[in-house]
Amino acid sequence: MSSPETEPTEASPVEAPPVALYVHVPFCVSQCPYCDFVVVAGREARGPTNRIDAFTAALETELRLRADALDARWGMPGSRPALASVYFGGGTPSLLPVATVAGLIDLIRDRFGLAGGAEVTLEANPGPDERGDPAALRDAGVTRLSIGAQSFDPDELRALGRRHTRADIAATVTGARSAGIPSVSLDLLYDIPGSSLRTWSRTVDAALRLEPDHLSLYALTLDDPDAEGLTGPTGDHLPLRPGARRWREKARSGQDDDRAAAMYEIADRRLAAAGYEWYEISNWARPGHQSRHNLAYWRRLPYEAVGPGAHAFDGATRRWNAARLDTYLAALTPTERASPNPPPGGSERIDSGTAIAERAMLSLRTAEGLALAPAALARLATRLAAPVAAGLLDEAPNGRLTLTLRGRMLSNEVFARLV
Amino acid sequence: MAERIPQERLRNFSIIAHIDHGKSTLADRLLELTHAIDPRQMTSQVLDSMDLEREKGITIKARAVRLEHTAHDGLTYGLNLIDTPGHVDFSYEVSHSLQACEGAILVVDAAQGVEAQTLANVHLALREGLTIIPVLNKIDLPSAEPELVMDELETALAIPREEVLLLSAKEGTGVPELLEAIVDRVPPPKGDPGAPLRALVFDSHYDPYKGVVVYVRLEEGTLHAHDLIRLMASGAEAELLELGVFRPQLVPVPLLRAGEVGYVATGLKNVREAQVGDTVTSVARPATQPLPGYQVAKSLVFAGIYPISGEDYPLLRDAIEKLHLNDASFTYEPESSIALGFGFRCGFLGLLHMEIVQERLEREFSLELIASAPSVDYEVLLTNARGTIHVDNPSKLPPVSDIEEIREPWVRLSVVTPAAYIGALMELSTNRRGTFVDLEYLDPTRVLMRFELPLAELIVDYYDQLKTRTAGYASMDYEEIGYRPANLVRLDVLVAGEPVDALSIIVHRENAAALGRTLVARLRQLIPRQLFEVPIQAAVGANVIARETVRALRKNVLAKCYGGDITRKRKLLEKQREGKRRMKRVGSVEIPQEAFLAMLRTDES
Repeated sequence: MSSPETEPTEASPVEAPPVALYVHVPFCVSQCPYCDFVVVAGREARGPTNRIDAFTAALETELRLRADALDARWGMPGSRPALASVYFGGGTPSLLPVATVAGLIDLIRDRFGLAGGAEVTLEANPGPDERGDPAALRDAGVTRLSIGAQSFDPDELRALGRRHTRADIAATVTGARSAGIPSVSLDLLYDIPGSSLRTWSRTVDAALRLEPDHLSLYALTLDDPDAEGLTGPTGDHLPLRPGARRWREKARSGQDDDRAAAMYEIADRRLAAAGYEWYEISNWARPGHQSRHNLAYWRRLPYEAVGPGAHAFDGATRRWNAARLDTYLAALTPTERASPNPPPGGSERIDSGTAIAERAMLSLRTAEGLALAPAALARLATRLAAPVAAGLLDEAPNGRLTLTLRGRMLSNEVFARLV
Repeated sequence: MAERIPQERLRNFSIIAHIDHGKSTLADRLLELTHAIDPRQMTSQVLDSMDLEREKGITIKARAVRLEHTAHDGLTYGLNLIDTPGHVDFSYEVSHSLQACEGAILVVDAAQGVEAQTLANVHLALREGLTIIPVLNKIDLPSAEPELVMDELETALAIPREEVLLLSAKEGTGVPELLEAIVDRVPPPKGDPGAPLRALVFDSHYDPYKGVVVYVRLEEGTLHAHDLIRLMASGAEAELLELGVFRPQLVPVPLLRAGEVGYVATGLKNVREAQVGDTVTSVARPATQPLPGYQVAKSLVFAGIYPISGEDYPLLRDAIEKLHLNDASFTYEPESSIALGFGFRCGFLGLLHMEIVQERLEREFSLELIASAPSVDYEVLLTNARGTIHVDNPSKLPPVSDIEEIREPWVRLSVVTPAAYIGALMELSTNRRGTFVDLEYLDPTRVLMRFELPLAELIVDYYDQLKTRTAGYASMDYEEIGYRPANLVRLDVLVAGEPVDALSIIVHRENAAALGRTLVARLRQLIPRQLFEVPIQAAVGANVIARETVRALRKNVLAKCYGGDITRKRKLLEKQREGKRRMKRVGSVEIPQEAFLAMLRTDES
């Protein structure tokens, strides 16, 4: 993609050392049919045949290999910037033994450096047997718990294939609070088949009653990663299982764009009234609780990543690991004849035109918006005329463009004119 | 090449028949019996060499073949079989094929009986003064009723039953007798081989190496290889590249004489210079008068033809020019439309002709095409004595205030049907603004009905309806009977206030409201939601007669948790961008081309 009309200097690809690190932990007790992330469930995740130990060893090896490369490129930790954030995503990272989490954080601190006050997020599921021990996690260095609540409606939770109850969500939040974890976030899904404005309002209210520091509200989005060509042998997604495909096909008929937009507007009003500030299309936070890690993505800062299906960016190249656990383990587990290698995957070099388009689309997602020089803004005027006329964009006096409330739900209409 | 057969032993004939009455099978049999074709190379329907012809079971382009037959008198006769198209749309070509003959075999299915086109083609042949050899085919069928059909021939065409031959082309019975009848009954051609050359062009095709190859029947004179020739209507001159006869492949000969049928490779690059009906003469010794009957083919049905993908326009232009070399009976001129881009306004002999031209363009040139709704040619009398204009494209109709009167072409329709369907056909035709003229019993169970109705009503889906309502039994034929005034209006479809040119149609005022409602309801389903509410209206002049609304889009967002996978997000957006680029713009509304295609493809009813 090219976009000659924005300033090329603004986003010319420049390599830089990472300020953030993503760690993908693929294990789940069970697999939810709507989820596109790289997940292995069942016997590989729990019980005598689980592969958590083998995975942990491979993950540590990958961390060392990635750190070696950064050392060679940017100098040893201490002479290059330390990480401002670490994010354990999944999967269900809270399934990892807490000693393992502690060991990984120690290794990261040692090889990458962790800045003072760094944000260390761990995703947790609320189920009693999967939420982990919050006090031990805090002691291990976790500063932020992101809880996959998704809904407070029992029917919706069942429809989504979630294993937890409303009470489990409350218990997880309460546990995290009493353990002293500094920041607690809840994920919720809207536009769930069978949901209504009424069930959604109740879910939002129930979430607010737990007083989390941060809320991510995601539109349930039922994609087809196979059709997108993402699931080949070195693809970053796993093929969709037939059951999940059938589930999605059926579920799509229970979705409704108009209802989804109304749900979004309801939530935006209630969250604002409760003191949460909107700061990205899907994210709201109390002051001081924005996710620094996710902001790094939207600000197009460089980030390192490890684990199957994980995506990294060094300012000029986007790199991803293949999704399959077997190939991941095979590459990283040393044998008598071979020393470990980075896992297979892919990469793409971002040219400056693409970089500009990415920057525009990522920054417009946020409350910070897109800052443009007046000349660049004038050049974009024709392309943006329709979205401006339709009330999707606000222009601040300083030339900064931001999405309006309606514009957030229609942001692709803006982005597709910019890319 | 055998020795030259003298003129008195030449017989030029064609076969006229209704579709499926066995014309092509009979031609195959004749070829076999006269050894024109090795039986091992025999494919079924030899003369129908176009794929389309075999599939549709019809003959589109006339073809010719030279047969040699040794008759009972022991002499060898040269028989030129000139095949004719079997559909009403091609009556111009039929008439020139018949003009090249002295006789015609009339093939009637012994089980089906006389059909509407049979009647039309026999009248055409009689007008040309041809000797008719009536033949009942398919007498092997258990359902054959030769006596009844002979009654019909007597009633409808005054053909005495003693003249009728009975045969089965499929089994070959009766075919040798037919060959003898051709020799006995069809008169030999007349015409002085020593007179100045006059040869009738009855067909042509374009060959990339030989240029336009015209099929000719020599009326007078002699044509030698390497003669310099002139086409009398177009004035084009050419040096002959090759001269030959059809066996049925092209076989060169040194000369052709009066009465003979053959081909002439002209080297001309443009078939418009050598159209069907034109007269070939020699430059050295030209004839003073051309042969009668040449006219520019008259288009009855008009439509815009557009490439589905805009960048194919140059290919389409090329393809149309090439196809026109083979079929000069359609007309074309460049046209552009907001909805469909650049294309051509084409005129056709009829609806089947339009279908065939479109299919040939698609198949022979690998194009994907869309046609706008077919229209007829309207005569518009302007106000303030400014005269009349012709309009074949609804979007070109002047504003209502400039129109004193609109006149539309009418046709007289002949339908042959089992009597049981009289009521159904009455209803069909009166629903289409038609009037009943008269009815005639061909035999106790079958009738010939005549109606008059506007051509515009005929070209929508009248033929399909006719077949549906009569279980496929009825057949039809029509002829133009001139223009009549009518209370017609242009129905426009507006999207957000902007008219969509390709969707405008001219309709009777009384049908406008109902049709308008149907059109806007259908279009509403096809236009994706936009950033703003989009009214879709049907209007006659400034009067909106139907309205639907496409509500504003409310959600188009990537609002799922993608983590650091920016690449996937970006690719999804690039896909949306590509989708937007392919959209057509009507005012500020983005409409996928598929929406227009779907509107134009669906039958209006």
